[in-house]
Amino acid sequence: MQPPLTRRDFLSRSGMGMAALGLADLQAAKPHYTPKAKRVIHFFLNGGPSHVDTFDPKPALARYAGKPVPNHRITERKTGAAFPSPFKFQRYGQSGIEVSELFARTAAHIDDIAVIRSMQAQVPNHEPSLMLMNCGDSIQARPSMGAWLMYGLGSANENLPGFIAMCPGGMPIKSAENWQSAFLPGAFQGTYVDSQHQAVDRLIENIRSPHADARVQLRQLELMRRINNAHRASRADPRLEARIQSFELAFRMQTEAADAFDVSKEPEHIRKLYGEGVHARQTLIARRLLERGVRMVQLWHGAGQPWDNHDNIESNHRKLAAQIDQPIAALLADLKQRGMLEDTLVIWGGEFGRTPTVELSGGKSKLGRDHNHYGFTVWMAGGGIKGGTVHGSTDEFGFAAQEHPTSVHDLHATILHLMGINHEELTYRYAGRDFRLTDVYGDVITPIVA
Amino acid sequence: MLRSLSQFGALILSTSLLAAEHWSFQPLKPGREQSIDAYIQKERAKHGLKPSPRADAHTLIRRATFDLTGLPPPDVPTRRDLSDEGYSRLVEQLLASPHYGEHWARHWLDVARYSDTKGYVYAREEKNWVHASAYRDWVVRALNDDMPYDRFLLLQIAADQLVPPRSPDLAAMGFLTLGRRFLGVTHDIIDDRIDVVTRGTLGLSVACARCHDHKFDPIPTRDYYALYGVFQSCAEALVPCDESAEDAELAALEKKNRDLMAKRRAEQMARTRARVADYLQATHELEKYPEETFGQLLDEKDLNPFIVHRFVAWLGKHPGVELTEERLKQPDSPAFVPDEHIANIEMYFPIGVTTELWKSQGDVDRHLIKSAAAPARATILVDRAQASAPRVFIRGNPLNKGDVVPRQFLSLFGHQRPFAKGSGRLELAQAIADPRNPLTARVMVNRIWQHHFGRGLVSTPSDFGKQGSEPTHPELLDWLAAEFIRSGWSIKHMHRLIMLSETYQQSSLASDPRDPDNKFLARMNLHRLSFEEARDAWLAAAGRLNLRIGGRPDTLFAASNTRRTLYALVDRENLPAVMRTFDFANPDLSIPQRTETTVPQQALFGMNHPFVVQQAKILLSRADVKPADAITRIRRIYAYLFQREPNADEMDFALRFVQEDQPPVIAAANHARSWQYGYGEWDESTGRVKNFKPLPYFTGNAWQGDEAWPNQKLGWAQLTATGGHPGNDRQHAVVRRWVAPADGSYAVKSTLLHEPAPGDGIRSFISHSQQGRLHAGKLHQGRAELNFDTLSFKAGDTLDFIVDIGDVLNSDQFLWSTRISSTATVGAGGDEHPDTWDTEKDFYAQPKSQLDAWEQLVQVLMLSNEFMFVD
Repeated sequence: MQPPLTRRDFLSRSGMGMAALGLADLQAAKPHYTPKAKRVIHFFLNGGPSHVDTFDPKPALARYAGKPVPNHRITERKTGAAFPSPFKFQRYGQSGIEVSELFARTAAHIDDIAVIRSMQAQVPNHEPSLMLMNCGDSIQARPSMGAWLMYGLGSANENLPGFIAMCPGGMPIKSAENWQSAFLPGAFQGTYVDSQHQAVDRLIENIRSPHADARVQLRQLELMRRINNAHRASRADPRLEARIQSFELAFRMQTEAADAFDVSKEPEHIRKLYGEGVHARQTLIARRLLERGVRMVQLWHGAGQPWDNHDNIESNHRKLAAQIDQPIAALLADLKQRGMLEDTLVIWGGEFGRTPTVELSGGKSKLGRDHNHYGFTVWMAGGGIKGGTVHGSTDEFGFAAQEHPTSVHDLHATILHLMGINHEELTYRYAGRDFRLTDVYGDVITPIVA
Repeated sequence: MLRSLSQFGALILSTSLLAAEHWSFQPLKPGREQSIDAYIQKERAKHGLKPSPRADAHTLIRRATFDLTGLPPPDVPTRRDLSDEGYSRLVEQLLASPHYGEHWARHWLDVARYSDTKGYVYAREEKNWVHASAYRDWVVRALNDDMPYDRFLLLQIAADQLVPPRSPDLAAMGFLTLGRRFLGVTHDIIDDRIDVVTRGTLGLSVACARCHDHKFDPIPTRDYYALYGVFQSCAEALVPCDESAEDAELAALEKKNRDLMAKRRAEQMARTRARVADYLQATHELEKYPEETFGQLLDEKDLNPFIVHRFVAWLGKHPGVELTEERLKQPDSPAFVPDEHIANIEMYFPIGVTTELWKSQGDVDRHLIKSAAAPARATILVDRAQASAPRVFIRGNPLNKGDVVPRQFLSLFGHQRPFAKGSGRLELAQAIADPRNPLTARVMVNRIWQHHFGRGLVSTPSDFGKQGSEPTHPELLDWLAAEFIRSGWSIKHMHRLIMLSETYQQSSLASDPRDPDNKFLARMNLHRLSFEEARDAWLAAAGRLNLRIGGRPDTLFAASNTRRTLYALVDRENLPAVMRTFDFANPDLSIPQRTETTVPQQALFGMNHPFVVQQAKILLSRADVKPADAITRIRRIYAYLFQREPNADEMDFALRFVQEDQPPVIAAANHARSWQYGYGEWDESTGRVKNFKPLPYFTGNAWQGDEAWPNQKLGWAQLTATGGHPGNDRQHAVVRRWVAPADGSYAVKSTLLHEPAPGDGIRSFISHSQQGRLHAGKLHQGRAELNFDTLSFKAGDTLDFIVDIGDVLNSDQFLWSTRISSTATVGAGGDEHPDTWDTEKDFYAQPKSQLDAWEQLVQVLMLSNEFMFVD
C-alpha cells in the first residue's frame, strides 16, 4: 500500500492531473508556522522614489552642495555634484525617526513603521530592478511574490481573485510581467485592474454580463446543472464536478466583486479620510479587498514610471507624494481602527532609489537624480513589524548601503516569514529543479520583526 | 520506409561509455512484446485490472478527430458501429488532414516557447518578431509532411549548414531565435537557447549547471559552458527563406540599413583606434567599467565598457604583443566591430547610434511584418568566422572567469571529442539526433504518448534526469522509442501504433478504485479541451471557423478573427488574460505540459464575454436551424455541438426551457439606453447638429466608423467611455447624445479636458434640442468645467455634447466626463435618490439586450461539460 498522496505530490505525479484542480488544490500547503500577517498591501512607487528626499535624511549633502562627493559611483547616466534635498526633514513619533515633508501625514504613523535604509538592487536599470523587486530575479521569467503567496497560502475568499495589481491609467514598465505566475499555474498570476475606471465591468474582465441579468443567469445555471449532472452520472472524473462548481462560484463572484470595488458604499467620513482622486480611491478599494480576504494587493502609482524624476525632482516628487501621502496615512489609520493593521503587512518602496548627486545633461544640471541601486529605502508596517525601527543605513551621502546591506532576497524572505512561510521551504519543481522566490539567497531581517 | 539501426553512420556517442547509471542514460532496452496492448496488459494484469470495452463509434470518432486535428468531427450524428477497418481508415484520413499539422504544431510550440513578440524591448526596437509566423508555419508543414524527427531537430538547430540559401527550411531555426530578447544581454539569450535545446530535445535541464554543477544529474558546469561556447560562436542573421520575387521597397530599406550600418561601424572602429591609449589605461581600472548587464547610457566621448573588456580579453590572449594600427584593423582586434545584425552588436555603440541603428532595422522589420507582398524571412544563427573558447563563469558570474573549456557535447554521454567544425552547432545537433542517443527518441515518444493519453509514461516530460519520474512502463517506452527510430523517426507511425491499439480505443467511462489515477490504463482518460480547441470548436459549431492555414497572426478577439486559435497573436509581454486563465503555455518558458486548472474566471469568460454568446447566436441563424420547428432545431443544435441526437429527456427539457415563460426584463432604469453615440456637423446658424448619424461600429471599448481606427469610413471619429476623438474634418464632429427619459429638470456637471500640446486643440459645443446652443468654446491644453444647475426637458428631448477639430486635425483627443442628475422629475419624492446618468458608468452598464430563450439554451450547451470534455 502506498501512503496517501498529499495534494502536492499528487500534482507533481499526475502532471496534467486527472483530478479536479481548483485553486485550493494547487496550493502548496498550509503556512509553515503561525503567520503574523495574513495579507499584504504593497505601494509600488514605480520609477524609483528618492530615499534622500523621503526617509533617509543626508545633511552632509548640504555641506557638499555643488561639490563632488568623495564616494561617487557610476550609474546609468552621468551625475555631478552633491544635490541637497530641497525638502525639510523632521523627527516624528516616540521613535523620533526623521521623515521629509513629502510624507508628513504618513510620518504621523512612524512608530508603526520599520524603515530599511540599506536596500540594494543589482543594476541601475528599471526593467531588471522591477523584475528583482517583484519576482526575485533580474532577468529570468520567475513567479512574482504575489503568485508565490497564492501558491503558498491561496486566497481567503474564493469569490475574488486572490492577488490584484492596480495601476491607474495603464501599465507600468514591463506590464503584466510584474505580477506574472511564470511556471506556476496561470490562476496565480495577479489580476490587473486599471483603477482609473469606476464602473466595475471596466475594473475586472468579464465580471458583468452584457447580455443577461441575474435572473436569466440563474435560469441558465439551473439548466447547466441539470445537463451536467446527467452527463456526470455515467463518468467518474472529478474534474467534471469541479467545473460545475466553478460556474456557481463565478456567479457569486459577480456580486461580490462588484460590491468590493464600489467605494460609494463607504461612509462619508471614511471617504474623506482617504481624500480625493484616483490614488485615494484605489487605496480605499484595496482596503475593501483586503477586508474580504484578498491575499495581496499591489498599488502602482501610475502608467510607465512616474517616480523616475531625472529632472526637476523638487516639483515632481512634491506632486507625486501629495497624491499618495494622505491615502497611505489614511490606510494605516483605517486598518488600525478596524484592528486589521496587526495582521496586514504594508510595504512601501520602488524598484530602487535615486542618486544623491545631480543628474547632468550635456554637463548641465537637470535638477533631478539618476537611478541608484547601491542603496535605497523600503519601509514596512503592520503585521509582525517592529514599528519605530530603522534598519541599516547608507553612507554619509546616501550613495550606497553601509550598515546591514539588505538584498531584495532578504526583503522577500522577511515578507514570507511574516506570512508564516519559511522561504527555503516554499518550493516548486520546474525544469528539474526546486525553485524558490529567494533562489539560493535571503535571510530574514530579524531586527525589524516584532 | 523502415531503416535498421545498423544503417546509421557517423556515431558520436560511444554507448558503452555512458557515464551514469540512471535508467534514461542507458541504451534502449525494449521488452520482447511486440505491441502496446501486450505491454499494457502485462502491467494491468499484475494489478488485477481488466481493460475497459471498446468505446462506441461516436466517442471514437470524436476522440480521434480532436486528438489528431484539435477540431470537432463533422456535424452529422454518427452511425452506430465502426468496424476496425473503418476506424483505421478514419485515422489515416485524419493523419492526412492539413489540420493535423496545425494541432500538433501547437504541442511543439509550447516546448519551443513560441511567441510572436520579443517581450519587453526598449522603444527603439521593433517588438514583433519578423520570423515567428514563418517558424510556426514551418513546424505545421514539417509535421504534415511527416518529416523524420531526427531531421526535424537537425534543421531547427543547424539548418544554416544543411540546406541551401533561401530554402524554406531555414525558418526552422526560429526554434533557437525566438526566445525573449532579455534586453540584448548575451548570457541570458544563450542560456535560453541552451535550455530550450536540452530540455526540449533531451529532457535534461542543463541550464541548472549555469552556476554550479547539477545537483542530481551528471551535468557539470563545464558542460554548460561547453554548450555556451557553441552559441557564443554564432551570430543572428535575418535571411530570406523563400524564392519569391524581390520586393523593391524592401531592397531599398535593406540597402539603406546596410549602408548606415557600414558607416557607423567604420566610425566606431575609428573612434576606438583613436583612443587606444585610453582603452589600455582603462584595462587597469576595471571597477569603472561594469559588465554588459549594467546598462549605462553612453555617448561618443565615453570609453565603452564593453570594448574595454574586449581589450582585456585580447591582451590576455596576446601577452606582450603590441597593438599597432594595423593590428587594430584585424577582425580579431578589440577595436573591430563585426559586420552583423544589430541584435548581435548593439553593445559596441554609443546609445544614440544604437538607437539609430535599431530604428533603421525597425523600418526593415516593419515592412516585412506589414507588407503582404514582402518575402518570408528567417532569423537564423550562423557560425562566426572565429569560434570562441568558452570559459566557465564561476557561480554564473561573467566577471568571475574560470577554466577554459572546449566546445563539446555533454559528458554524461561518455568521453567527448571537442567539436571540430565552426561553432560545433551542427555536431551538437547530430549528437542529439543520433539514434544511439538514448534520450532523444524516448523523450519524443513520451511527448506523443502524453498528448494522446493525457499523461506521459514518464510524467515529467522534459525532465528525464534523476529528479524526474520513473516510467510507469519502462519496457514499453523503450519499445516505442526503438520503433520510432526503426520507422525512420516517423511521428505519424507512432500515432498509428498508439491509436490503433486496443488500449487507446477503450471506453473512458468506468473507473476502478484500485487505480484512481488510471496509471495502468484500464480505461481511457477524459480530455478537457484546451483553450485553442474550445475556441475553434465554438467557431466551428457556429459554422464560422476559417480554416486557412498559415500566415501572420491576428488579434485574438478582433471581430473579424475567425481563424484557428493557433493563429492568435502570442504577445509574451501581454498575453490576453483569458489565455493565461485557460492555462495557455507561458511563452517565456519551454512548457512540456500545461497545468490544467478549473477556476471561476474561466466560467466568467464563458458566461459574460461576448464571444461565446456571439457564436450561439450565429449557430441559431444557420440556414438549417433558424427556419426549423422547435424539435428539428434542437436536433440540429445537438448535431452541431455534440454530433449526436438528443435523447428523449434532453429533448424534453430543452423544449420546456425554450417554451417556458421568460422572466421579465428587470424594469429598473436602464441608463445605458439614454445615450447615443454618433457624429454630424455643427451648424453655427441653428446652434444644433445637422446630419446626426450613429457611429456604426462598437469595439467593446469604443464607438467608431469601423473595426480599425482610424478607418476609411469615418477617419479618427471615436467615442469612448471617458472621451473620444473628433472626425477628420468639421463635417465629422463626434456627438454624445443624451435623451431625456422623462419630463423634468436636470442638473448637468461636466468636465472637458484637452491635454496634448501639438496642434491647435478642439472646439466643443453643448446643444439642447429645444433651446439650441448652451455652450460653445475652443480648448487647447486646458480644462473646462461646463455646468448647468437646472435644465428642463420633456421626455425625448436631447442634449448633445459635441466636439470637432480646431483649424487643423492634430492631437485632438479629449476627455469629457458628464453627470446628469434629475433635480425635480415629476412625481419624485423629497428623500429619494436623484437619478444620475454618468458617461463612463453608463457606457458599459447593464445588458443592452437580453438573450432570448434559444440563445440562453445554446450558450448553456456550448459551456456544458459534454462540450468541453472528450470521452
